[in-house]
Amino acid sequence: MATRKRSGASTWVHEDAESLFARYAETKDKKIRDRLVVMHQNLVRFLAGKFMNRGEPIEDLVQVGTIGLINAIDRFDPERGTKFSTYATPTIVGEIRRHFRDKAWSLKVPRRLQELNLASNKAAENLSQKLGRAPTIQEIAQAVDATEEETLEAIELGNAYETVSLDTKLAYEGESAPLSLAEFVGESDGSLENLEKYGDLSQAMDCLDQRERSIIYLRFFKDMSQTEVAKKLNISQMHVSRLQQKALKRLKDLLSD
Amino acid sequence: MASESTPSVVELKLPCKPEFVGVARLTVLGIAGRMSFSYDEVEDVRLAVGEACTTAVERAVKANKTDTDISIIGSILGNKLTIEVRDQAGHPIDAADKPQTTEVEELDEQGLGALLMELLVDEFNVESYEDGTIVRMVKYAE
Repeated sequence: MATRKRSGASTWVHEDAESLFARYAETKDKKIRDRLVVMHQNLVRFLAGKFMNRGEPIEDLVQVGTIGLINAIDRFDPERGTKFSTYATPTIVGEIRRHFRDKAWSLKVPRRLQELNLASNKAAENLSQKLGRAPTIQEIAQAVDATEEETLEAIELGNAYETVSLDTKLAYEGESAPLSLAEFVGESDGSLENLEKYGDLSQAMDCLDQRERSIIYLRFFKDMSQTEVAKKLNISQMHVSRLQQKALKRLKDLLSD
Repeated sequence: MASESTPSVVELKLPCKPEFVGVARLTVLGIAGRMSFSYDEVEDVRLAVGEACTTAVERAVKANKTDTDISIIGSILGNKLTIEVRDQAGHPIDAADKPQTTEVEELDEQGLGALLMELLVDEFNVESYEDGTIVRMVKYAE
């Protein structure tokens, strides 16, 4: 491969990549790897682009594809004589497909279709009224800002993913009045979030000095007044006020990061 | 069972033009959607068939043969899906089934397209015949 001779600028780039791979294999220098990663971004973009119409943002695909690229660079043996793009493509595509597999539980793809299906149905209705005839697929596609293929797919497939009403009654054994589905739908648990905030707060508290921490603790956890705190710590109320202000500002800064 | 021994075959003939590649993809959705493939597997087959058609159209454009046809022949036999993409647009310049010869930096899209197809399906081969190329792909459900 090293003896392959070609003319023009691409020869330089080509040989440059080759010598970079050789140097990286030898030194494992992260800077060289970074250059190789940048150099092969177009390969990742090209492959990620192929998976574009599956409802994932292209940037996410490029990102996971780049992880594959980095793995491929790490494992590539330039001595073997295989082209790097040939070597890296399975790894990059593997990462991208794994990304879809891992995402499957979120039902993201069917939801995209479902939304497009709803939008297409609505557009078809509106257009029929406006035009006084059934709209064409092109007209619907235009109205929902999708390609004709996507629109057809959504109309065809969307019906398969049945939407269930929130008012659907679910009858349970031994219960007199059936409850509706909506009553079983979870909501985000505020106390969980609080727990997290407490965790952050206690970490931030550790950054305060002993006296500041005592003031915060007595004022806000023990509900003492500034005067009571002042008495307890044997300092003036003014001093408590100043220290408290300083400590609160510190905490706010720490928590806002 | 009869359906296990006789394949169900769907045949489609399309103009070898870019705007019809989507029709091929939709057809594959219709065929693969009848089998127990996951959503992503169906998408993989569609992507592979789309690639096969795209490379055929690219060759047709270069060879000035866009008035020819592409045939898509899909057959289901049990859990085996075979899809053949047959064009009359000449042969791959650099043997599409040997992507090892592709250039890294200039991204030989044809070669990479072939490599991609190979990755997406379980069996893949490319054959040249007098007028064109036959890409044959097999994917097993479950």
